[in-house]
Amino acid sequence: MFESHSVSTDHKDLIHDVAFDHYGRRMATCSSDQFIKVWEMDSDNSIDGGWKLSATWKAHSGSVWKVTWAHPEFGQVLASCSFDRTAAVWEEIVSEQNIYSQTGQKHWAKRTTLVDSRMSVMDIKFAPKSLGLLLATCSVDGIIRIYEAPDVMNLAQWTLQQEVPCKHQASCISWNPSYTRPEVPMLAVGSDEAAAAGSSRVVVLHYSSYVRRWHKLENVPSVADPVHDISFAPRLGRSYDILAIATRDIRLFSICQLVGSAGTSRFEVTPFATLEDHNSTVWRVSWNSVGNVLVSSGDDGSVRIWRLSKQTSWKCVGTIKSDGRRLLLPEVMNAASLTLAKH
Amino acid sequence: MSSVRLEVLWSPVHKDKFITWGTEISLYETSEKCGDIRRTDYVDLSETSSARLLATNSSYHYVKAVDIHPMEGSEILLAIGQANGKVSLTTFGPSNFDFLGINGMDMVPKHPRQCNVVSWCQNDPQLIAAGLDRYRSDHCVLVWDIQSRTGAAVVAEMGLSDMAHSLTWLPDHHKTLVVGMNNKLLKMIDLRDPSKAACSSQTKAVYGVTAAPYSNFMLASYLESQVSIWDIRAFEKPVLTLLQSKPITKILWCPTRNNLLGSLQRDTKSIYLHYIQQMEELDHSVVERSIRPGVSHQITSFSWHPLDENRLLAITLSGLVTDTYVSERITLNWAQSTSIVWTHGQRTLQSVSCTDSVYEMLGDISALMKLRATRGYGLQYEMEENGDLVDDENLKLIWRWLGATKRLSDEFNINLPTRHLGIRSVLGMDKTTPSSISTKSEAVLVPFNGAGSNCNAKVYRSDVRDKALKLCDWSFIHNLPQLLHAVESLQSQGEVTKAVAVAVFGLQLNTAIKLLSSSTSEHTTISMALSGYSNDNESVWRDACIASRLKLNDPYLRAVFAFLTADSDNYNSVLEEEEMAVTDRIAFALAYLSDSKLVEYLNKLTDQLTVDGNLAGLILTGMSSSALPLLQQYLDSTGDVQSVAIFTMKGFPPSLLESNRAQYWISSYRELLDMWRLWDHRAQFDIQHNARTSLKPEQQIYVTCSFCMKTLSSNAFSRNKGPFPRTKVSCCPNCRKPQPRCSICLINMGTPSQSDASNCNSNNGGMKINTFSSWYTWCQTCRHGGHSKHIIQWFEDHQECPVTGCTCRCLSLDATSFTV
Repeated sequence: MFESHSVSTDHKDLIHDVAFDHYGRRMATCSSDQFIKVWEMDSDNSIDGGWKLSATWKAHSGSVWKVTWAHPEFGQVLASCSFDRTAAVWEEIVSEQNIYSQTGQKHWAKRTTLVDSRMSVMDIKFAPKSLGLLLATCSVDGIIRIYEAPDVMNLAQWTLQQEVPCKHQASCISWNPSYTRPEVPMLAVGSDEAAAAGSSRVVVLHYSSYVRRWHKLENVPSVADPVHDISFAPRLGRSYDILAIATRDIRLFSICQLVGSAGTSRFEVTPFATLEDHNSTVWRVSWNSVGNVLVSSGDDGSVRIWRLSKQTSWKCVGTIKSDGRRLLLPEVMNAASLTLAKH
Repeated sequence: MSSVRLEVLWSPVHKDKFITWGTEISLYETSEKCGDIRRTDYVDLSETSSARLLATNSSYHYVKAVDIHPMEGSEILLAIGQANGKVSLTTFGPSNFDFLGINGMDMVPKHPRQCNVVSWCQNDPQLIAAGLDRYRSDHCVLVWDIQSRTGAAVVAEMGLSDMAHSLTWLPDHHKTLVVGMNNKLLKMIDLRDPSKAACSSQTKAVYGVTAAPYSNFMLASYLESQVSIWDIRAFEKPVLTLLQSKPITKILWCPTRNNLLGSLQRDTKSIYLHYIQQMEELDHSVVERSIRPGVSHQITSFSWHPLDENRLLAITLSGLVTDTYVSERITLNWAQSTSIVWTHGQRTLQSVSCTDSVYEMLGDISALMKLRATRGYGLQYEMEENGDLVDDENLKLIWRWLGATKRLSDEFNINLPTRHLGIRSVLGMDKTTPSSISTKSEAVLVPFNGAGSNCNAKVYRSDVRDKALKLCDWSFIHNLPQLLHAVESLQSQGEVTKAVAVAVFGLQLNTAIKLLSSSTSEHTTISMALSGYSNDNESVWRDACIASRLKLNDPYLRAVFAFLTADSDNYNSVLEEEEMAVTDRIAFALAYLSDSKLVEYLNKLTDQLTVDGNLAGLILTGMSSSALPLLQQYLDSTGDVQSVAIFTMKGFPPSLLESNRAQYWISSYRELLDMWRLWDHRAQFDIQHNARTSLKPEQQIYVTCSFCMKTLSSNAFSRNKGPFPRTKVSCCPNCRKPQPRCSICLINMGTPSQSDASNCNSNNGGMKINTFSSWYTWCQTCRHGGHSKHIIQWFEDHQECPVTGCTCRCLSLDATSFTV
């Protein structure tokens, strides 16, 4: 009998985001109750799915929409964004009290508040570490802001590198997780604006290192429905990028970077797949660490897992009801799943 | 609004009871469905719940408003507001209210007119308020106390010659009501001073006024197709106005969620949900969505469950009641190769971790790669040992091939950039002459053993073909004793059909028939078919075999019959047997195809395998630049960056290894190892990688004297060539100044750099054997430090730097200290 592990978070209101650190051993949750909570993986502990609460604090004066971890190279650093129009950067430090205690009391200190947005900040993401310590935010006023901490030891100082206005209110943002230098940094932004028919809700920006500015990609296929989440797949050796878009269904785009003779790069964005099994609004999408398995959640109250098989076709390999009690494996895929399970 | 409009209401205090009313009032009890048992007295509400009718009350006609008494632990007590203004209290059957004389109590206004709303006070459950239509000289809001000494007594009356459309008690303010009046006014009235309104607001949105359960200040009301949200601290105008497409018939706050308002519009099948976002400084916004309870009729009313999160009942025009769970936005995330976490409801997280059996079903290859990495996959010096660590046959094949080619190139002492030659390079089909083989081969007629005296097969042989056969593990095909040995070993491994194919391709029909007849009964019949072999092109046997060949399940048996029935030199049906292992097909081609056909076939096969991303194609291409697209294709379809990076690192010649693509794969895999915290594996991978490239990593750390800035180590080494190495350099060999002291033991730092004589053989003469514990370590911030062992010991018990007066928190500044 399948049953997932349950963690009761003690948040006072709806949880909006769950984020894992680079190693998947720490978890941060944020909620409409304006609090952020940090959890440690504790494999000895079987209660609460092996997660132990290590910190909880009131972070904002409005719903906290998203929370995200920086690469551990920069320390234990979180960033959050909120309905209160601000984004904040938090760092875990050893507290001044309890010097003589065996284990230092750790707490999270606010390092900076980014107040440039005039409206609710909907998403915040750290750039891949090869770009340095960079943050991108997007807000309801439709402006994408890219901040940089010039000195990685000083998290209090952030300079606004560029503001890119988009036509619609933005809801989600994602960096392409490039691990190596030659790839051109990209940012994908989705909009959940319901009105404004006819125009696309997805904007992809790329960084031009000659002029040091972010530019919009022109040839992105149009997405006509409100977009709730957007996520680049980790690339890890693949020859192209995959962008997952959660809208009325799940859209997958593949993005090829073709480096021209003069060192200029050209991008080819092509629709890759459309996954419709949710039959309702899709809220979130997330990738495994290699980028060939996708997990999504939808308004049908289920979590679905999709796997790339045979190079281009995507199959739903499992459906879990959100209460974690029922797991459905499609019959067709059973054989394939079992051979994998054997290894 | 017609009187048959059906309404539904959960009991505020009973978890499992609700009422419906239209022309009559019915009480239902809900229960969870258990199993597949269908009980006839139950009606289905949803997939998981059903309800049973407990009682019906049809003694009241013209019911205009109903409210259930909110007292814990009591029976259901209804207050029924009727068209003549009378408010009656009633229960279903006998209850403890009978003794109090409450059951059956009627409260009658002085002048009869329609009652629009009745509402019990949550905080003071003996108070009930009723809102009535206009009457010239009477009040429109009446509040009764049902437990006063004289039965029900009016404790307050308000709104002389006004009309009340709706009213609500404020949950956190005792004895305060908000009333929607006269199509133009929302009035807040304190019962302690009912004569005048505490405050009021001019608005036409006077219908359905209701107070939010978690907020002390929030109200909602509606008018036609517009919902207004109010804050009683700023009552002059609504803080938010929500425009809807159709006229609204009902609004209700969700009792289990902050600031969630549900609304129902006329003639729709959906319920609209409005999440009101609130900030401290009176700034509001809204997120809206709609849900369909999955009914085919228009919904006439709905009711939130008082306790269960996001559960509501909806009732349709036809009286059908459905139980719906409003699923919250599920947020989810995937932790690196360890678990998937998502939210369930508002406050609970659900997770599936990699230790659960279900996780394997999902086919996350990164978990498999992590398992392989922890076993040391890719770090073994013997190629085949790496293959032993995986279960995948294709990967094992490649490791065997890598091992074989390595031994071969050592054996033949081939002086080529790559040691892992593909069959194409062995045959001389390199890039300059892709359409020809360097060495001409000769055709030999070999007698077919067991197929008649005049039966021969044309076999092609040359040096390079023999070498290539060796790479396919088929070197036995031209050597009878080896062939028989190979057949035996295959038979003992249970691969009978492959053994048969080997025997037939080796032209030993007798052996094949013997093999089959000693095997299972199914194979015995095939042995009969085989023994009837005749090489006559027109024979009945041949036609029959061609016809029934495709019905065989086993690819090797199909290939055997294809071979036996082939027209002179046309072996296409053998070569296109795709289920046969690639190496076997290549070996067959090497033995039986003429030079030109062989080239054609190998080119086609290479292209095919490259497009498929089939690793077996590496045997053709070798670890050369033409392997790059194949590996990329394999990686794109499987995500197995691990094997690709390891093949690249182990097999590619240095020139290719330093190419961008190869370096990209390798750095991706290193990133992955770091992410899994397998730093030791990463470091060993780096060591093997650097040993194969021409680039040597530069020395990264030098120890210099802080006075004269000359390096300590080189000087020390130049003197240490003698048989008695100095054990300590505690002062600068150049300027003779002492080295800094360890802040714990206060002994001067020295490098006890004894080159351990026992380990110091000719191969690794430069290797220094120092114990880690006596190395330098220092804080990057305060520059204090000492012997690493002492420093680690110190920070086990302390937080601050060991140097007196220095308050630097050295350890906690270190990002990796988290893992210590």
